[in-house]
Amino acid sequence: MSVKKIDSPEFQDAIRSGVAVVDFNATWCGPCRMLAPVLEELSDEMAGKAAFYAMDVDDNPDVAASFGINSIPYVAVFKDGQKADEQIGFVPKPQLQAFIERNL
Amino acid sequence: MGNRVDIAIIGTGPAGVSAAITATVRNKSVMLLGSADLSDKVSKAHAIQNYPGLPEISGADLARHFADHLKRMNIPVTDRKVTMIYAMGDYYSLQIDNEFVEATTVILATGVSFGKPFPGEDENLGRGVSYCATCDAALYRGREAVVVGYAPKEEADVRFLAEMADRVIYIPVYKKEETAAMAEDLFPDRPNVEVRKCRPLSIAKKESKMVLVTDDGAIETDGIFLLRESVSPGKLVPGLELDGNHVKTDRKMATNLPGLFAAGDITGTPYQYVKSAGEGNVAALSAVSYIDSLKK
Repeated sequence: MSVKKIDSPEFQDAIRSGVAVVDFNATWCGPCRMLAPVLEELSDEMAGKAAFYAMDVDDNPDVAASFGINSIPYVAVFKDGQKADEQIGFVPKPQLQAFIERNL
Repeated sequence: MGNRVDIAIIGTGPAGVSAAITATVRNKSVMLLGSADLSDKVSKAHAIQNYPGLPEISGADLARHFADHLKRMNIPVTDRKVTMIYAMGDYYSLQIDNEFVEATTVILATGVSFGKPFPGEDENLGRGVSYCATCDAALYRGREAVVVGYAPKEEADVRFLAEMADRVIYIPVYKKEETAAMAEDLFPDRPNVEVRKCRPLSIAKKESKMVLVTDDGAIETDGIFLLRESVSPGKLVPGLELDGNHVKTDRKMATNLPGLFAAGDITGTPYQYVKSAGEGNVAALSAVSYIDSLKK
């Protein structure tokens, strides 16, 4: 598995069933660039437990606004289409993994 | 990305200087980051009576000795501000403005100059409160923001934010002499920036809006940017374990993040120059052991 980049039209389908981890980011965001490889690793290690997606907030301001995102990176966990939890800002891998596992 | 240094040391007080000296003696590559004039807290001290070998030395003289010692060992000071330190697993990434520097280990020796957060600040960080205008400005397109700036250099960030946001209220809370020198009209070229002189008191969330309460009434806005000179260690290093206002360390000056050490006032009282220098030495030796253990 890996992190799949998606845009607004694919968003609802992506989160519809099971557990989806969505990383809201932007190319100019330093902490986002640091978090991306961590999410990439977790998407491999947690394959089968959760699907991982990435969404650029500049390209998809509608989705970002619908969740009231004021700060990125913003990682949200969705369960069967509903947002279960969010993690704002960079966190080291063990903490990010614990955050996702808590919401499985 | 450039070469990875063995040890990045943040802070140029007694702890940082001492760590840099020991790390260099042990043949590790060092990047010492902080004020090129070394720590304010040292040079402004009247007289230090308990630094062995240097009885009754003034702070200014001690700072000169430190600078001289660094010079003799060819240790330059990189006078740039580290905004964030990311634990990447087997190395650290330091964000300096918009550049990244990699280090195998980090020694935090930044002292304790950070103030207390405003009531409501921590709870709303990332949810309407931000410390970085250049990072989050793009999320404020077509919206309003309040910026609280603690030094004149933050005015550049206000300009940048004002390019994106519809309206910006800027509250300069500078030191006395800087406030006196401040022009009434700071942003003649930015009609969407309004400068207000008041003191922020607390922060609250009101539905989807943020409220900054000041001594001159409450301001309702979309987001609040707090641009301080230094941030607390927990915000500088995401995931770092704290003990109250200080960084939690063991006797080896190790923190909960492998490869990240802390030394000096940042680890807690007593706030003494000689204690800080000692901890800097321990932290450097621990960092050296950690680097050697990675190579096995």
